[in-house]
Amino acid sequence: MPTIRVPLSWLREYVEAHGSAEEIGRGLHMSGTEVDRIERPGGGWDHVWVGRIAALEKHPNADKLQLVTVEYGEGRTKTVVTGAPNIRAGDVVPYAEVGARLRDAGTGAPGREAHGDGWLTLEPKKVRGIMSEGMVCSERELGLGDDHDGILILDQGLAVGQPLADALGDPVLVLELQPNRPDCMGVVGVAREVAAVQRVALREPKVAKLRYQLDRALLDVRIEDPEACPRFGAAYLENVTIGPSPKWMQQRLTAAGMRPIHNAVDITNYVMLELGQPLHAYDADRLRGHALVARRARSGESLRTLDGVERILSPDLLVIADDERSLGIAGILGGQDSEIRPTTTKIALECASFEPRGIDRTAAKLGLSQQSAASARFRLALSPELVPLAVARAAQLLVEHADARIVGAVDVYPSPRPRPNVRLRFSDILRVLGVEIPREESLDALSRLGFQYAESGDTLVVTPPAIRTDIGIAEDIVEEVARIVGYDRIPVLIPDGQLPLQERHPLEALREQVRDHLVGFGLQETVSYSLIDPAWLGRLSADGSPIAPAPIRVQNPTSISQSVARPTLRASLLDTAARNLRHRDGVAIFEISPVYLPRAGDLPEERWTIAVLVAGRAKEQTWLTQPRDWDRWDVKGLLAAMARSINAGTFSGPSGPAAGMHPGSSSTRLHDGRPALMIGQLDPRVAARWGVPTETFIGEVDLASLLAVVQPHVAKLPPKYPAALREVAFVVDEAVTYGAVRDDVTGAAKDLLESLTLLDVYRGPQVGVGKKSFALRLVLRSRTGTLTDADVEKVVSRIEGRVLHKLGGTIRG
Amino acid sequence: MDWRAETQALREQALPEIATDDHLLALDERRVRWLGRNGLITKLLRSIVSAPDAERREFGAAANALKAEVEAALEHQIAKVKAAAPDSRLTEQDDLTLPGRPVRLGRMHPISRTIREISRIFLSMGFEAVEGPEIEWDYYNFEALNIPKGHPARDKFNTLWASNPLGDDPSRPMLFRTHTSPMQIRIMEQRKPPIRVIVPGRCYRFEATDATHESVFFQYEGLAIDEKLSMADLKGVLYSFARQLFGGERKVRFRPDYFPFTEPSAEIAFDCFVCDGSGQKDGGRCPTCWGSGWIEAAGCGMVHPDALRRVGYDPDKYQGFAFGGGVDRLAGLLTGTPDIRLFHQNDLRYLESV
Ligand SMILES: [Zn+2]
Repeated sequence: MPTIRVPLSWLREYVEAHGSAEEIGRGLHMSGTEVDRIERPGGGWDHVWVGRIAALEKHPNADKLQLVTVEYGEGRTKTVVTGAPNIRAGDVVPYAEVGARLRDAGTGAPGREAHGDGWLTLEPKKVRGIMSEGMVCSERELGLGDDHDGILILDQGLAVGQPLADALGDPVLVLELQPNRPDCMGVVGVAREVAAVQRVALREPKVAKLRYQLDRALLDVRIEDPEACPRFGAAYLENVTIGPSPKWMQQRLTAAGMRPIHNAVDITNYVMLELGQPLHAYDADRLRGHALVARRARSGESLRTLDGVERILSPDLLVIADDERSLGIAGILGGQDSEIRPTTTKIALECASFEPRGIDRTAAKLGLSQQSAASARFRLALSPELVPLAVARAAQLLVEHADARIVGAVDVYPSPRPRPNVRLRFSDILRVLGVEIPREESLDALSRLGFQYAESGDTLVVTPPAIRTDIGIAEDIVEEVARIVGYDRIPVLIPDGQLPLQERHPLEALREQVRDHLVGFGLQETVSYSLIDPAWLGRLSADGSPIAPAPIRVQNPTSISQSVARPTLRASLLDTAARNLRHRDGVAIFEISPVYLPRAGDLPEERWTIAVLVAGRAKEQTWLTQPRDWDRWDVKGLLAAMARSINAGTFSGPSGPAAGMHPGSSSTRLHDGRPALMIGQLDPRVAARWGVPTETFIGEVDLASLLAVVQPHVAKLPPKYPAALREVAFVVDEAVTYGAVRDDVTGAAKDLLESLTLLDVYRGPQVGVGKKSFALRLVLRSRTGTLTDADVEKVVSRIEGRVLHKLGGTIRG
Repeated sequence: MDWRAETQALREQALPEIATDDHLLALDERRVRWLGRNGLITKLLRSIVSAPDAERREFGAAANALKAEVEAALEHQIAKVKAAAPDSRLTEQDDLTLPGRPVRLGRMHPISRTIREISRIFLSMGFEAVEGPEIEWDYYNFEALNIPKGHPARDKFNTLWASNPLGDDPSRPMLFRTHTSPMQIRIMEQRKPPIRVIVPGRCYRFEATDATHESVFFQYEGLAIDEKLSMADLKGVLYSFARQLFGGERKVRFRPDYFPFTEPSAEIAFDCFVCDGSGQKDGGRCPTCWGSGWIEAAGCGMVHPDALRRVGYDPDKYQGFAFGGGVDRLAGLLTGTPDIRLFHQNDLRYLESV
């Protein structure tokens, strides 16, 4: 956002503002002109006062030192020791108390303790046996200038006892302007706001109208591209003496942040800071063909700009040229050849209105990220009405401060822009603000801002002042009224009206449930950068092959470490785990975030994913518990519990190997053709690359797939009939999975199986080589009656038969 | 001695003795003394046979009555002593300063918790939480919000541009959304008024990171469209939000601001709860509000008629307000986290503390 610096004394030239800088600033701030800060040149002048020398006497123990009695307010006097020769009783001087921070002038003056940064804090100190309580200061010690030959003698008229900052420091309001308010890019525009807010008069600078008559032979002004340059004004001045500008002008430019050069350049800058409209002064004798033309650059044309760069121009750039060559890139950069020199006697003042988008495009094309004071203004929608005003004002100042004589002026404005009329109803103010602002008050606010209006019944037709290019619709007018009467006038209500649609998105609801459950299981949630280092993706598999699609890239990343949109959460979790495992024994973390999967010709799919990682120490040893590490059954149990907690069923798709994971201890599962679940142990080779434990376990769940298998809750009534409990053990080949046995048991038991618990998996001499035994506990129950022993035997033998027949198992006695 | 006197004497001796015994062993001894083989009452009973015939029946009855009385007294006293004895189930004495069996604790991330809290507050005011894409078209992020190419307001949004590995369409630039505001347009395109939604989500900017700036951060966006919603309603909703979040005594400040997609626009701030709006803390500048006394919470305004027209709403019939603010800053305030970069660093020592 554009920033401008407005010295308070300059502002006060145009408006009789009351109150301190802070009060003026508050008024601006609360009416929409953001005050970033208020600077004072003596920002560090705490404990520095305007003092008067009440008495002077010789130091009893040193010839070159004097004892100074300073008074600085009612009943406040102190004695200080000084070696400065230039003071007399009655002089008004800066007096710094003990505790003041001053610039270290390097003189070894009394009572100092250096800070090492060029500033020091005053301490009481004895000098040759006499206590010095503070000091009287030189210009250099106050940071005001370089003079250190003696004490700074102040104006006799200053009130003794006031803070020096109030007496000397001209506060500078540093404003952050909104891009729709180019009218505030000049001190006069800010003064107009202050005048409206404080209900005081605005005193615009008096500018005598120029005589718009000029011999073409002296200066020929033309617009070749009226779209890019709608208005082009100029003035021709002779008899110019180039020299320094007046001291007051230099001080204002400096306070506003510009470096004084010489009167001609200073005056154009001064007018820009005053009115907001940039302009340029050319040495008229060096304009070939005595011409100033706004035109497109010619192909291959080159220009050495003020920054010393030789630039090749192209026809999409607008330039200001004479009859033979480009003089500068319009609104952006001047050229070296046409600069004013000390010997210049004739000046062509140029001031134009440019189409802001063109300025923006040009700056981008030239790679100029740094805006000049002029281009920062040209980028905004400056009013073309400022052009003749700025030319006249600059010409007048050249007459006053460069001995110039105005020969004539030109104003080329082929299709003058009509000023907009905005039509609204008084009732719009109530409609938008929710409060009635009395008609008189609304109209008063508008007229204080320089708006003209005509009213008829409820209808109001408003013409904004020419410099306000931001006003176009009724709501703009309502805002003007509101900000001047104050937003505090808007009451605080609670909306009524029809009941809006209120449905919680099921995916969002599920996500929050899952988050709660995982936290309940003791996992810590993490949120990591969604932009990651592309190198991370190459470290997710042993051979560097991708485990996820090629990611969306950031075209202009802030750094390589945040240059792609992550297509997987795994890398982020591994990074988090590795960093934390440097200072702890175990991690149990999860993240729920989207991953970004590119789609041709469309925005990427943002797929919400739950990712869990556990590694290292799960339980510490305590007097009650044995230490234990996380293992694969933890992550499986966690995901199963999560699924159970949200009443999720099982994924229907086939399972397969998981990329980047331990080939013998991981799997993925599809649901409706999309990866729904990944669970297992990280490939130990990948673990080594990330610096996480060999035994690191990860689970990843696609939230949308999970939602697809969530079952509605069905109330289950407590059973009426007793359960029967049986334990059986099957011996099967090592190759037979538990899942196969489980499925057979479940299938054979039909709806009589209430629960199935795996009690033990046994391998050893009792079952023989290549075999294992599963010990199961079955809880059987019927919904329609008590199971008799015979019923139970029937079911058990059906189960046993199925397992024996289908899986070739035996029953372990 | 007359058997009557003797019986009475024994009674007067036995019953008080028994009544004062407070130990089961003593009562056992007492039983032997009175009712044992050589007990005093046993002896009395034995002496019945030697009593005169005329009195034997009466003496027998009296002696047996005494025996019964003493037996009853013994039983009563035994029960009483037993009842007074401590219950062995209650005698154990634990060292309750020993630590309990550890329970693993998990915590939600402060960002998640803050988003949930923000959503909860707006939900209570009839808003519905929805979400939208983080990777967006330029159109929704800028164009449809009155920020065409070259508009100086684009300067505020240091945009990260996205590139699709499957091919980019130069006429349709893709970016990492710089704010949650594109969802204003998407929601209005999808629905008809009345609308009240809140949109939390991740946003991106090309930004040098420091304690208060992140290139990846979170925002919340609100949108309400109906026939009569005004700035007063906007003010009410945001006041309520600030007070529900930071306490009912919070003062709220509403000042003009500028956003291309709202008109009029405003900025809402509430007085700093750390320094009570003074800007001073412990003799220096308050670190929470940087000395201003105000904490800026959201930008807001009335939805621009151009935006309404663009989605096919009639601005003469419908109007409404929108607001947007930073989640990270609020999370920082709610958790006392001075540096928002901590949110993405995932140092568990920090996360377990908030
Ligand atoms: Zn504060």
